[in-house]
Amino acid sequence: MTLETNQGNLGGAPSLFTEDATGLRSEEMILNMGPQHPSTHGVLRLVLTLDGETVMQCTPIMGYLHRGMEKTFENRPYMAGPRYIDNADYLSPMINEVCYAGAVEQIMGVEPPPRAQYIRVIVQELERIASHLVAVGTYGLDLGAFTPVLWAFRDREVILDLFESLSGHRFTHNYMRVGGVLYDLPKGWIQQCEDWATRFIDKNLPELEGLLTGNEIFVSRTRGVGYIDPQQALAYALTGPMSRASGVAFDVRVDRPYGAYREIAVRPQVQTGGDCFARYRVRMDEMKESVRLIREALDNLPSGPISARSPIALRPPRGETYFAVETGRGEESLYMISDGSEYPYRAKLRAPSFVNLAILPELLRGTKIGDVIAILGSIDIVLGDVDR
Amino acid sequence: MDLAPRDGESVSLLAFDRDHINQLFTALAEVDAIVGQPTPKIRMGGGGVGIEVPAERLVEVARTLRDSLGFEMLTCVTAVDFVDHIQCLYHFRSLASNWLLQARVRLSAEQPEIDSLVGLYPSANWLEREQYDMVGVIFKGHPDLRRILLDDDFQGYPMRRDFRATPVTLRDRATTQVDGERAISGEQQRDQERIVPKHVGQGNEERIHPGKPTFGSAAVYLETGQGLLPGDMQGEIETEHGYEVDKDDPAPTSRS
Repeated sequence: MTLETNQGNLGGAPSLFTEDATGLRSEEMILNMGPQHPSTHGVLRLVLTLDGETVMQCTPIMGYLHRGMEKTFENRPYMAGPRYIDNADYLSPMINEVCYAGAVEQIMGVEPPPRAQYIRVIVQELERIASHLVAVGTYGLDLGAFTPVLWAFRDREVILDLFESLSGHRFTHNYMRVGGVLYDLPKGWIQQCEDWATRFIDKNLPELEGLLTGNEIFVSRTRGVGYIDPQQALAYALTGPMSRASGVAFDVRVDRPYGAYREIAVRPQVQTGGDCFARYRVRMDEMKESVRLIREALDNLPSGPISARSPIALRPPRGETYFAVETGRGEESLYMISDGSEYPYRAKLRAPSFVNLAILPELLRGTKIGDVIAILGSIDIVLGDVDR
Repeated sequence: MDLAPRDGESVSLLAFDRDHINQLFTALAEVDAIVGQPTPKIRMGGGGVGIEVPAERLVEVARTLRDSLGFEMLTCVTAVDFVDHIQCLYHFRSLASNWLLQARVRLSAEQPEIDSLVGLYPSANWLEREQYDMVGVIFKGHPDLRRILLDDDFQGYPMRRDFRATPVTLRDRATTQVDGERAISGEQQRDQERIVPKHVGQGNEERIHPGKPTFGSAAVYLETGQGLLPGDMQGEIETEHGYEVDKDDPAPTSRS
């Protein structure tokens, strides 16, 4: 039964008491998790309404990292766009840049040369591995395993070094251009990349996987937790590992291939578990698949120019486009309108983290508070992507 | 501004399978039956198809798209301000048939209202909230139409064309916050370092922090009675100067 009292300790609202058969009374508690909390992976605030240890309601509050990115696009020329979209999903800037450049290319009706398309595939897959390494490593950290994050960052450092020698920056690379890429692969880069891929797939990834996949604590905290059935995944428009772990085999690289993905076939990694463990497994499998794609792209790397000739002051024709790419988190797409001037009329960024996060209140309702971290970590959000 | 729909063939080199797209065109006859007239259809880049839907028929069309044509996912909701009208765009995906559909709805600029799709697609919840936040489209029937990325007391809609990108909120300005109007005019930089004379007891109200004299002005000490003031400084109080951003007293004087 519920009793209403006039103890206005919840900001003046009447507090809610519940009483069980033995006369024990419990009170709903509001717990603020974040915005400064290590396991929110950024500045996300969750207002949890708790009854004992059970989560009754969850209200995510976001926008702490909102930088008005879409408005910024409207006020910058097309050539400046890739630099700003870098910061949207700051764990996969290369893929963001492909999204922006690809959208403009689609409006203009140009295609980058084959070599540029293959280089794009290579850096995108490297970025996907780096992004998944952070996801898996910090997920272990959330659940109390400290070593995986160190071992994951060991390989991520090498990837960032490769990006640095390629573009000059470890983050916010600003490497893609409309019509191609900025620099060709430097001397010895391919050999470095192949060496790293061999080391990663033969030694480092099995080591990392051995820490988590067979770990009894990790498995018991993730298996059967945060279950999403396929219908739910479709209704909430989940993409990426979130939906593929629920058996929905949707991958933009497969269903709507762009760039060199039309020539390099991707095998989508699907699990049917639907729980946090399945999402972890999808990420691990995707890393192996990415290494295969990198090797295939390096083997078939065409020669030739790396960029189409395009003017500095781009004026795409009037038109609109909806261009989607697959990041480590799902479908990232840009709906862009060009009015024939040097600036986009409107650029709407469909952020995968934002859409995937919307299912969180539904997932958390009725779970224990200990599972909140496990479920939130398995969604793998980037707050720069949520808030834009 | 209005977009002239371009011929589909020239939009993209990513030519999707022609039969595949034609199947969708055939299937869209069901939508025409609901609307009552043939809806304008265009081919878009990347193998998408765009249709136009009247605002009052949107929910019925979306129900047909979901239940009959197999568009399981509402991927993206976009509102665009075209000054004389506002467009709302919905991107649907069908995974079984691998179709991408863009439904365009035209709304009036004065009263941009449209029925919410939350009842059909739960993903519309946050997507519509974001567009309400950014463009100011009212989604009728939405269960929780609040701002999602911006402050609750934010004024205006940033993605409107007439929005000025200066910080405006309903709250009182904090003492350290720069006035948005002056920040863009460049006035702020000139005013910031100006020194104006300050007499005993004349302290700016905003600057007095009880128990924490952060500005070092003796006037603050005297007015609040807090902090320590050495006895031999008593004679110097009248010559104490402060820094003040004051538009009403523009005469700059030198530091004593």
